[in-house]
Amino acid sequence: MQTFIYGSYILVWPAITLGMLGMISYAVLRDYREAKRNNTDLV
Amino acid sequence: MNSELFQFSTATVLLLLFAFYGGTYLLSRMIRHDSDDADGFMVSNRRIGLGMGAASMTATWVWAASFYAAATSGYTYGVSGPLHYGFWGALMILFIYPFGRRFRELAPNAHTLGELIHARHGASSQLILAFSNILGSVISLMVNLTAAGALVSVLSPLSFQAGIIIAGVGVLSYTLYSGFRASVFTDFAQLVAMMAIAVVIIPAVLFAMGGPAVMVDNLSNLTAEQANIFSREAFLHQGAPYFVAVLAYAIGNQTISQRLFAVDESHIKPTFITATISYGAIVIGLGMIGLMALTLGVEPLDGNMNNLIPQMVSSYLPPIFIGLFFILVIGSLSSTADSDLSALSAIMMADVYGKNIARNKADPRKMLLIGRMTMITATVIGIIFASFSLDILVMLVFVGALWGAIVFPVIASCFWNRVTNAAFTWAVIVALLVFCVVRFDLLPMTGILAIGVELLASVGAGVVAGLMTFGFFGKRMGVIAFFIGTLVIAWLGIGHLRDFTVLLSSLTAYGVSTLVCVAVSLASDERFDFNTIQQRVGDYNKPADDELDATVTVH
Repeated sequence: MQTFIYGSYILVWPAITLGMLGMISYAVLRDYREAKRNNTDLV
Repeated sequence: MNSELFQFSTATVLLLLFAFYGGTYLLSRMIRHDSDDADGFMVSNRRIGLGMGAASMTATWVWAASFYAAATSGYTYGVSGPLHYGFWGALMILFIYPFGRRFRELAPNAHTLGELIHARHGASSQLILAFSNILGSVISLMVNLTAAGALVSVLSPLSFQAGIIIAGVGVLSYTLYSGFRASVFTDFAQLVAMMAIAVVIIPAVLFAMGGPAVMVDNLSNLTAEQANIFSREAFLHQGAPYFVAVLAYAIGNQTISQRLFAVDESHIKPTFITATISYGAIVIGLGMIGLMALTLGVEPLDGNMNNLIPQMVSSYLPPIFIGLFFILVIGSLSSTADSDLSALSAIMMADVYGKNIARNKADPRKMLLIGRMTMITATVIGIIFASFSLDILVMLVFVGALWGAIVFPVIASCFWNRVTNAAFTWAVIVALLVFCVVRFDLLPMTGILAIGVELLASVGAGVVAGLMTFGFFGKRMGVIAFFIGTLVIAWLGIGHLRDFTVLLSSLTAYGVSTLVCVAVSLASDERFDFNTIQQRVGDYNKPADDELDATVTVH
């Protein structure tokens, strides 16, 4: 049980990082499509 | 465990650096360029979306020191160490957001927080803020270039100075052309690389050293405090001083306010929340490598804590991971350094030239020239100072105090119509003086004096609690939190706070600046109309509204 707790305590951070990476990438893709549709700049 | 770190050949490390900075430069060339667009150079199109905004905020806030300091915290304080670095650092981003919305509401066309303060109070308060911003960004630039030199010299035969020069020139090359736009655009690519590498490296080190089971088997290497997730020692030495600095860093750092004025207004909240979670996850995760080293009984090479992460990666993983780690650190320091260059150029363009030299009759072309000259000058200064490995501790302490002293005056100025220019200025000056007395032990902290300072520090703690609560829950809850925070810290801290000089001096700066600001403001009959700020802060590409009105009236 202690092994599971320690393993989870360490691995939860890269897991969250992966989730946020996916979310940010998706949001940028959406922004890119919108900018292209409106013929505006991304930044 | 290897007694030495893995070494790249000169050709390999040059190739890695060339690929990184060359790729980033090519990315920056994809940005559309307008030679007259001074506003775009400072705040982009003010409609940066959630993804780019959050990526840029995160990449800027994650700097090279984040990894080293988080790992050091994990190694020193054990299980709770990485949390006491990464969690509070992440909160810095989150706690600025409610105030940021107010800044944006008051001055939607601002480029720097200093412009808002100039419109609210005039030059002296604005220049205090601009000076603190400049000092902070120059220090940050130096620290990041120093980190590049250290990384290159530790992992390759190249010298410390060579690393500094390559990083400095590399960052300048892609930022000079499009300014803030290039910073934001390249931040996304740099962050994707950083996150992807962090996702791979943390579990790779854990399982290469034997997995969680080996950690549990070696828990005897931890002291009782280090094994305790609620360690008092970790909180008082690492977490609490950092917690106190939460608002100070966010207010005093132009890199954050620049993004605040640049993101799409409707996306401010999700942008800040996303950046908070992303920053926390990356930094706490990499800090866990310090905890792993502690558990295994690893001694940092040459006693240098900064060697912990490269040492662990070097010992347990193949060379490709060292290359990934190299890119991770170069990416983090470059994204922060380019933001510092953009912040410095915006301060010189808007706060110094726009508001105090051209006085709202600024020429956009001249502004751009000033911005680019600032970037070049700042890079040269950064390279020279970093090459000399100057001890910047006193500067860091001073800028921390300055930031602490301006937090209440800046926030109060945006919500309370009675704060005057004199109140702002005197609050900062008196708080800085008292801070120096406490921080540098200019007077013996004993007897009545010590109790008095501890009471001021308790007020400072109440101010921190009150402002944070006020940001999210409004005035009534903020005032309640202030009194509770002050009473609790006075009850617990009198007789004890004097033993924690860093914490005591920081809290005292908050407390004194608040008391002076409130007292001087109440002594005045002035009332400020917040609606005038929007008229006084305009774009530089076109005349401000009041100038247009004036022109129409004249003709």
